[in-house]
Amino acid sequence: MRPLRSFTRGGLSLRLQREWPLELPVRNAFLPVSAVVLLKQHAGSASRCLVSKGEFVREGMLIGKAESIDQSAVHSPIPGIVREIRRIRLPTGGESEAVVIALEGFFDRLGKKQEKFLWSSMARNDVLQTLRDKGVVETDPPGAPLAEVLFRAKGVKLLILNCIESEPWIRTETAALEARAAEVLDGLRIISASTEPGKVIIALDESEPELAKKIENLTALEEKSFECVRLKSRYPQDLPSRLLEAFSPRHQVGQKADSALFVRPSTAIAAYDAIALAKPFIERYVTVGGGVVKRPAVLKVRIGTSIGDLFEECGGFLGNPDRIILGGPFRGLPSYDLDMPVSKTTNAILALSAEETKRGNTVPCIRCGRCKDVCPEGIDPNAIYRRIDRSLIGAAFEFGLRECSICGLCGYVCPSRLPLVERFAAYKSMAETSR
Amino acid sequence: MRPQRKDSITTDAVAAAAPAPFIHVGFTTATLTRDCVLVLLPSLVWGFYCFGIRAALVVLASISSALIGELILDWVARRFSLFDGSAFLTGLLLGLAMPPGVPFYVPCISALFAVIVVKGCFGGIGSNWMNPALGGLVFSLISWPRAMSTWLLPRHLAGVAGISGATPLGFVRDHAAAGSSGTVLEILTGSGINFSETDKNITLFLNETFFAPIGAELPFGYLDLLLGNRSGSIGELSGLLLLIGSVILIARRSIRWEIPLSILISFGLLTRIFGGLPFGEGLFSGDLLFSLFSGSFLLVSFFMATDPVTSPRTKTGRYVYGTGVGILTFLLRTFGSQPEGTAFALLMMNCFTPWIDRHSSWKNRPRQMSEGVVE
Repeated sequence: MRPLRSFTRGGLSLRLQREWPLELPVRNAFLPVSAVVLLKQHAGSASRCLVSKGEFVREGMLIGKAESIDQSAVHSPIPGIVREIRRIRLPTGGESEAVVIALEGFFDRLGKKQEKFLWSSMARNDVLQTLRDKGVVETDPPGAPLAEVLFRAKGVKLLILNCIESEPWIRTETAALEARAAEVLDGLRIISASTEPGKVIIALDESEPELAKKIENLTALEEKSFECVRLKSRYPQDLPSRLLEAFSPRHQVGQKADSALFVRPSTAIAAYDAIALAKPFIERYVTVGGGVVKRPAVLKVRIGTSIGDLFEECGGFLGNPDRIILGGPFRGLPSYDLDMPVSKTTNAILALSAEETKRGNTVPCIRCGRCKDVCPEGIDPNAIYRRIDRSLIGAAFEFGLRECSICGLCGYVCPSRLPLVERFAAYKSMAETSR
Repeated sequence: MRPQRKDSITTDAVAAAAPAPFIHVGFTTATLTRDCVLVLLPSLVWGFYCFGIRAALVVLASISSALIGELILDWVARRFSLFDGSAFLTGLLLGLAMPPGVPFYVPCISALFAVIVVKGCFGGIGSNWMNPALGGLVFSLISWPRAMSTWLLPRHLAGVAGISGATPLGFVRDHAAAGSSGTVLEILTGSGINFSETDKNITLFLNETFFAPIGAELPFGYLDLLLGNRSGSIGELSGLLLLIGSVILIARRSIRWEIPLSILISFGLLTRIFGGLPFGEGLFSGDLLFSLFSGSFLLVSFFMATDPVTSPRTKTGRYVYGTGVGILTFLLRTFGSQPEGTAFALLMMNCFTPWIDRHSSWKNRPRQMSEGVVE
């Protein structure tokens, strides 16, 4: 057997670090009594609100209209009455309008038999327009609208279905793949048909051998053009640059990630639902976990459900959570409160215990070099940090700050608790916006 | 008051809002020093067994002076950093490198020098260019050469405590200088150095059971060197304990294996090839085991050379650094004015660390790796 592929430098094997088991199988979360639907669900800008207070909305009705390519359509996840339209502080910074909908009336789709549309005869433009209309965005932050991504990616060399979990404690993509493998592959076919890539690769995680086997069997039976590749379970394998490195070490290191299109299984499901079932993007899989959650699980959640409801559904907290996080422990965002709604790009919500966060004070660096050892980009975080510390930003970029993918590993291992990742992220984004 | 850089100190309020990563491996600077202290304790106990309470008092004097030095620095800087353990480790290492019979003012002054001058004056933990314990050791070697080269025999070997006896390294060197020839062990046995009963018994047993069938023979004396039945400084005696300790540290990734390995290889090769020359023997006749297990070679190369603050940060750099230490140690031991040269060799290589770092850093990587963003 061929040795498992992976990237060359740094990284950590972290799948054994999770101490809380996830309840299986995936189950549906309760419908929210009151859904808070953000009009800015991804990193773009907010769409225009189409409803007003007191108005009745139906399940899947358009409530936010996309008016430019960085906006996406927003639909009502539940039927009900618009209670208010208020502004909500986002964990990414800034604010967004949100429509608060109180559950009322009946469901148009839920529990009804769904008709499957034969999409294979659809023209590319129709597919993209439908994806736009149904508000499909990439399901991981930052989450660009899928139609625009596919529009730009026509004739791309490589289409990669990225089944590697974005972070060690998350199991969202694996759960989506387990629950709806056939739909994921159909979604991939839709995306493949509308981009016409040179080659399609399904990147699988070796730590889920049964799932990998299942996908391999499914693709072996039907499709000749999909190639399945198992990759080592190693963070941050899911990054586009690290995936490219794994597929062709040496040759493509440094090749722009633009030469390939990366799609998540849950994005593929959303695309399938939109095209084949004409269903807007109103629900997604979310990993609910963390050391203080009683029964961690992966839930199928309506967009707009508050994270507090989801924690409650998983048995509530065992103790005081030290941190509440939207996303994973390495690249997630801290949440201010439990009323934060799930958005289209929320892949996990974690309530971490103090034993997991292990907070400590910053002490002087002792140049142990652990940050350098784990860095998947092969840069020297400490050298960069020292230069930032002395306000030598230009020198920091000379030492490779631009290469940094903000994976968070250096901060994770640093025995001196230097705010490495914090500084890198701040100065990187500063340099990018000033250009 | 020392000006504090605003950036390097994170207050609790900032930490509360600290962004990703939200989890931590749980390994801190204090863990590193604690590991080092723990694996050095067996050596201390062995030194205590060999030399009695006096050895313990020397180490105690060194540690407490180091802690006092740290407190003085803390008072000047208005902070409290005693619990990071670095001053304790400095004191312990320095005490272990002292001869057991040394007057108490030597470890006291050296430890204060180590912590205040070598570490504190250059910016405190993480900013010193010389390992503090090493700086203190070299300071005492230069300041009190007589006191630092007066050795005691282990009391179970001499029968009573307080009998002075040269270290094997110094002994052999004196005899080589006097013109006697033969292998190192022949010199040792010929001059009537005592080997312990343990050594005799185990060597006999090994010879009869393992080495006789393959036609080899282990001379008496090596096991004493390995186990630490010899005279020397408090912590350097037992090569076995030091090796076990360093294996634990390497397994826990508290220290890097590249540096000790390259020191061992370069020093070992040179010793094997040229080590026999001072004794009137040909090339390739050096006594490897004797050279490795005598003197403070293991203590310095595993516990002082691996100090992350003063050693290079890149893998290549660490090989260069270790090789340099090995070569210099060999040169100093063979041609220097003193029998022991490891500390001075390491001190010299400490000076090269920034240079090695600069020439093996990311900036100087091959161009195609840097994706054309540099310049």
